[in-house]
Amino acid sequence: MSILLTEEQQLIGQSARDFAKEYLEPIAVELDHTASYPAALVKNLAAHDFLGLFLPGEFGGAEAGFVSMAQVIENLSRASAGVASILVNHSLAAYALQRWGTPAQKQAFLPALASGETLGAFAAFEHGPRPGVGPQALQATHLPEGWVLSGTKAFVRNAGAAQVYVVLAGTDPAAGGKAVAAFIVKADAVGLTVGEPLETMGLRGCPVADLDFEHVVLTDAALLGDLKDGQAITAETFALASVAEAAQTLGIAQAAVEHAAAYAKTRIQFGRPIASLQAIQTLLAETATDCHLGRLGLLQAADLIDRGEPFRVEAAMLKQFLARVGSRLLVDTVQVEGGFGYSEFMPLPRLFRDIAGTTLLEAPADFPDATIAASLLA
Amino acid sequence: MSILTPEQKVIQRSAREFVAKEIIPIAAQCDRSGEFHPQVLEAARESRIFAMAVPRDLGGLDYDALTQALVLEEWGYGCAGVGTTLAASVLSMDSVLVAGNDEQKKMFFGAMVDGAIGSFGLTEPNAGSDAGNGKATAVKVEDGYVLNGSKCWITNGGYADVFVIYALTDPAAGARGLSAFVVEKGTPGFTIGTVDHKLGIRSSNTVELLFKDVKLPLTALLGKEGEGMKIAMKTLDMARPAIAALSVGLAQRALDVCVQHLQEAHPDPKIQPGQTLQFKLADMRIQIEAARQLLHHTMNLRDAGVPYSTESAMAKTCCSDMAMKVTTQAVQVMGAWGYTHEPAKLMRDAKIMQIYEGTNQIQRLVISRAVLPPPRPAQPTQKGGN
Repeated sequence: MSILLTEEQQLIGQSARDFAKEYLEPIAVELDHTASYPAALVKNLAAHDFLGLFLPGEFGGAEAGFVSMAQVIENLSRASAGVASILVNHSLAAYALQRWGTPAQKQAFLPALASGETLGAFAAFEHGPRPGVGPQALQATHLPEGWVLSGTKAFVRNAGAAQVYVVLAGTDPAAGGKAVAAFIVKADAVGLTVGEPLETMGLRGCPVADLDFEHVVLTDAALLGDLKDGQAITAETFALASVAEAAQTLGIAQAAVEHAAAYAKTRIQFGRPIASLQAIQTLLAETATDCHLGRLGLLQAADLIDRGEPFRVEAAMLKQFLARVGSRLLVDTVQVEGGFGYSEFMPLPRLFRDIAGTTLLEAPADFPDATIAASLLA
Repeated sequence: MSILTPEQKVIQRSAREFVAKEIIPIAAQCDRSGEFHPQVLEAARESRIFAMAVPRDLGGLDYDALTQALVLEEWGYGCAGVGTTLAASVLSMDSVLVAGNDEQKKMFFGAMVDGAIGSFGLTEPNAGSDAGNGKATAVKVEDGYVLNGSKCWITNGGYADVFVIYALTDPAAGARGLSAFVVEKGTPGFTIGTVDHKLGIRSSNTVELLFKDVKLPLTALLGKEGEGMKIAMKTLDMARPAIAALSVGLAQRALDVCVQHLQEAHPDPKIQPGQTLQFKLADMRIQIEAARQLLHHTMNLRDAGVPYSTESAMAKTCCSDMAMKVTTQAVQVMGAWGYTHEPAKLMRDAKIMQIYEGTNQIQRLVISRAVLPPPRPAQPTQKGGN
C-alpha cells in the first residue's frame, strides 16, 4: 500500500495515528457512553491542522489534499469514529464553501473553519425522501427582503456545535426536489433553532439533531454558487461524503479485524487457539480482503479529487461496495469473538454500532446505483 | 405464510395481540435502559405461555413444535430481548423433557405452570463452543452432590426460579464426565454474579451464576451421571428452532417498520420510492419467507416424530443469518432515519442470533457432518464373492 502514498501523506497518516493513540483511545469508550460533544478535543484537532487539512494555504489550510485527509479520517476512526464524524461533517461544509464560494464568501468563512475557530456542518437531509420534498421540507423563497428559509433539515450532524451551516433548500415546491440551492447559514441566524439531540446507535459524540427554520431571512450573499449549481453541489458533496465515510468504515473495520485476530490467537477451544480453525481463518481472511479492496478504491477516489478530476462515479462505486460489505465486516469480526464479542464490556460492539452508521449516513441509499448507472447510460 | 390448523391460527392471533399490547409498547424503553421486564412476565402469567412446552397432564399448554415456533415468532416480532426470555425458559424445560423423571418434571413444570421462568446453565468462560471444557464440578457425597464453579452469559439467571445446571461429576473424564442437575433458586451457596451489558437483546437478563459448596440432593441429577453432554445436545436440537423463530419475527418486524416509515415519508403518490428500494424490500420479503418455511418444515418434522437434528441446525443458521442481513438492509435503506430509530435496535438484536445456542460455525459443523460424513474405516475384503 505504501507505494501509493508520498512521504508527506504517510507522515500525516502517522500523525493522525499518534493523535488517535494519545487523545482518542483514552476517551473513546467514555464518549460512546455520554455522547456529549467533545469541544476541547475538537480544538485539539484544529491545533493539529486536521480541520483545515485540505483547505488552501491562503485561507490557513494545510493544503495537504484528500489522500492525506483519507489517512487522517481512517486513523482517527480506528480509535473513535464519532470524533471522525465531527471532522467529516465539518469538512463537507468546508469543501462546499471552498468549491463554490465567491472570493468574499471564502474569505469570510474559510480561515475560521481552518483554524477551528468555527465548526462547520453540512445539512442535506430532511424528513421527506429528498431535499425540498415533503410537508416539512426546507423551502427558500426569494422575497424583497432577501432569501427566506422555512422548514426543517433532519439528522444534521454537528447540529448545535457548529457555528456555520451549509444547507440545501428547495427553491420551487412544484419541482419535486429538482430545484435545490445551497445556502450559508450562521448558527445565530434569527429564526434558526436546533432540535433535541437524537440518540444514535453509534458515532456518538458527534451530535445529530434537526434544524428548524422559521422565516430565517438571509441576504443574497448567503447563496452558495448560483441557483443552477444546487444539483451539482448536492451530488458532489454526497460523493465527497462517500469517500470520507469509506475512510471511516475502513478505519473501524481495521481496528476490529486486528482485535479479532488477537482474540483468536488467545482464545482456546477444543484444546487449541480458535485462530487455528479454518472457519475462523476464513472469517478473518474475507474481512481483510474486503478492507484491502475498499482501501484501494478509497485511495483512487481521493487521488482523483486531488487531481481535480471527476470522482463522483468512483465515489459512488466505493459507497456501493462498502454498503454491501461494510456492516458485514463487523458482523463477521464479532462472530469470531462469539459471546465475548457481543458484550458491551468488550470493544467490538461499539465498532459494530459505528460501522452501521458510516456505511449509510451522508447520502441516500439509491445515490450510488443511480450515479453509476447514469455514467454508463449517458 | 404456512398452512395452519384453526387452533394454530387462534394461538398465533392471541400471541400477536399479547405482543401488541404488552411487549411492543415497552420494547424501546427496555432496550434503552437495558433493564428486565418483570411486568411482561406478570401479564404472561395468566396465559401460562411460559408453560407452552409443558405436557397437558402436568398442567401445561402442550403446544406442538410448530405452534411454539409461531408464538416465538410473534415474541421476536415484538422484542427479541423479551422473546429471548421466553425462548431461554423453554430451553431449560427441554432438558427436563429430555431426561427428567416424573418427580423432576412435576417440580420443574409445576413452577412454570405457576408462572415461574427457567434458566439453562451450560456455558462457562472457557466453555463456549467447546461446551465440554467446563470447570464447574458436582462432587458426589453420601446423600447428594456438592456443586462448585461458575457459569456465564446465563439468560434469565437473575429472575429464574428453577435452573438446569451442567457440571462435571467426573472431571478426569472431560465431556464424558458432564452431568445435568435441576437446581432451585435460593439454594444456599448459589448466588448471582455480574450482570452483562450487551450490544442487543438488552432487556433480556444475562448474568453470571456462582456456586460455592452448593449442596444438591441425589434427586437433582437429570438422567444418569455422565449423560450431561448427551442431554445438552438433545436439548439444543429441540431449542435451536426457537432462535430461528425469534429471528424470523425480528426480520419481519424490520420489513414492516421500513414499509410503515416509507408510507409516512412518501405521502405523495407522485413521489414514490424507486425500483432500487422497491427491489430491496422484495428481497427482504423473499429471504424472510424462505427462512420461515425452513423453520416451519423443521417443526413439522419434529411434530411428525422423525429425525430433525440437521434441519434444526439449518433452520437456526439460515434464519439467524437472514435476520442479520435483513436488519442490516433495513438500517441501510432507511438511511439516517434507520440509524436513529427502530431498525438500529433490530440490527443490534439480530447479531446475537448468530452466536447463542451454538454459534452458526458450530451449526455448520453439525450440518457438514451430515453432508460429508467421515469415511468409514476400510472393511477387510472378502475372499471370493463377486
